[in-house]
Amino acid sequence: MEFSESAEHQMLRRAVGDLTAKYGHEYFLERARSGGKTTELWNELGRNGFLGVGLPEEYGGGGGGISELAVVCEEVAAQGCPLLLILVSAAICAEVITRFGNEDQKRAWLPGLARGDKMVFAITEPDAGSNSHKVATTATRDGDVYRLRGTKTYISGVDEADRMLVVTRTGVDEITGHAQLSLFVVDTDAPRLERTLIPTEITAPERQFQLFFEDVEVPADRLVGEEGAGLRQVFFGLNPERITGACISTGIGRYALAKAAAYARERSVWGVPIGTHQGVSHPLATAKIELELARLMTTKAAWLHDHDADRNVAGEAANMAKYAAAEAGLHCLDAAIQTHGGNGMASEYGLADLWGLARLLRIAPVSREMVLNFVAQQTLGLPKSY
Amino acid sequence: MNVVVCVKQIPDPATPGELDASTKTLRRSGSIILDDSDAYGVEMGLQLADKAGGGEVILVSMAPNNENKGLRTALAMGAAKALLISDEALAGSDALSTAKVLAKAIERADADLILTATESTDGYTGTIPAQVAELLGLPMVTFAKHIEVDGDRVKVQRQTEAGYDEVESPLPAVVSVTAGVVEPRYPSFKGIMAAKGKPVDELKVADLGLDAGQVGWAGARQEIADVSAAEERKAGEIVEDEGDGAERIVAFLEQLKVI
Repeated sequence: MEFSESAEHQMLRRAVGDLTAKYGHEYFLERARSGGKTTELWNELGRNGFLGVGLPEEYGGGGGGISELAVVCEEVAAQGCPLLLILVSAAICAEVITRFGNEDQKRAWLPGLARGDKMVFAITEPDAGSNSHKVATTATRDGDVYRLRGTKTYISGVDEADRMLVVTRTGVDEITGHAQLSLFVVDTDAPRLERTLIPTEITAPERQFQLFFEDVEVPADRLVGEEGAGLRQVFFGLNPERITGACISTGIGRYALAKAAAYARERSVWGVPIGTHQGVSHPLATAKIELELARLMTTKAAWLHDHDADRNVAGEAANMAKYAAAEAGLHCLDAAIQTHGGNGMASEYGLADLWGLARLLRIAPVSREMVLNFVAQQTLGLPKSY
Repeated sequence: MNVVVCVKQIPDPATPGELDASTKTLRRSGSIILDDSDAYGVEMGLQLADKAGGGEVILVSMAPNNENKGLRTALAMGAAKALLISDEALAGSDALSTAKVLAKAIERADADLILTATESTDGYTGTIPAQVAELLGLPMVTFAKHIEVDGDRVKVQRQTEAGYDEVESPLPAVVSVTAGVVEPRYPSFKGIMAAKGKPVDELKVADLGLDAGQVGWAGARQEIADVSAAEERKAGEIVEDEGDGAERIVAFLEQLKVI
């Protein structure tokens, strides 16, 4: 066993951290508030190969895995620039296409993804939130094309991506009655694809959309993998999504704790720095412990995924990491805000604006309740409630 | 064209530095990184070798305990190999002893050009580049903000207070570069992985043909007499604007002889 971080990961961390620090939280916030995008940061990360670290070298990637993408994702967030699209574009979409795309598809899309092209992921629907068996968006074969009809909701970043990976129903399993799913890469500007913005209380440059597929024609060669095997294929993308999602939480946690510790060392109102008082220092120390435990599980989950561990073992670790990280990130941010007193809510301290995003990560990409269901049923063997 | 870049590996400036009370020197434990000011020389060397259409960047560094983390960063940026001089006999080396060691190591590298920073971020003496040039018997150009190689000559824009001088020198030469010379690249992940396999030759004082008595505490001609904390910056004066704010600022600037 090896628990100290490798020299390569440390170097990657420093390079990504230094690059992102040039931008910083003020840049992120200004873009988020003005409805702008973090294009310069994203593109610079892409140009330097950091968004493609996990992709195979033959397709322009760095030849690493989710472990390296996790380092990138956390480091960017730890500099105050949590980028949600890393977990959609670089984690899920890139992973699914690498594993299940045919050679033409990999040549067509992976080099772009490695450089920083954006591909978003459309699975959730108004009536099938966490229940993928109920996906109702259909894809019907019609000669050389498939016709897509249905509605997707809470799809991040559609306005800044060229393409999206869409989960559709192409049939029904006669025995279980569950949907048979198929995955398609669809252009975001395809005719008869409409979108409406869903206003949210999350301060982030990525915006959320509802999508309406009104008989959208997709060429048959855009089907990724096997028709009807979409659910199994999606599962391979979900672990990277959970792991990188966890990294956004731990990155926010590190960012918040660093600010809080600096403040508590300097701020003095009773003659000594407020960090002297255990009422201030202990919540920060507690949050730090939770944060490091979550980071440990996240690193383990990434390692298991990269080493093709048993799917249940890797899935369990990814779920637990996601749960622990979301909780730890929120606790760190909460403790940091409390440490700052009234200043914790002041815009200039750059903490409270992250609350919406940190809180979202308790709900997405998989909700806390679905993680608990997974652990209760899969790990503890308890009866299923649904 | 082969470019030698002298690089220093220093304690991470982001972590609080510590002095050893008995030797009055910086403690070099903890996180060690490539001195940021050396990243400019590495980048410049890479670009010049690239432009010349051949040759490589060779790093030369002196550090305790065979420390190579900073070298790995420069190798990940694209340098081809490194010479690392690490020897217990080097503890306590002053600037001149360090220059002697670096010069001896550079002699082994067959360099067309030797690049250094203007000064290190932890020591700030700024004397080593000139000492190295003198020991090697090579011409030296300082404070380069732009470098071009033309055949066997180097053309340098040398930063001055008023602007810059255009200076030419035959090669080989030693050139110290400022932070304005180029924008250093970030090590890419591929570069980081490739750096693992690049050679770092570890050398001892004896390998360089130097005597242990010439370096370290034994050879030091410089002594640290005393160390004291830098004076804390005094709080600034707050000028309340009662209609005369502009005049009072002008008076203040005149008093400083700025205007």
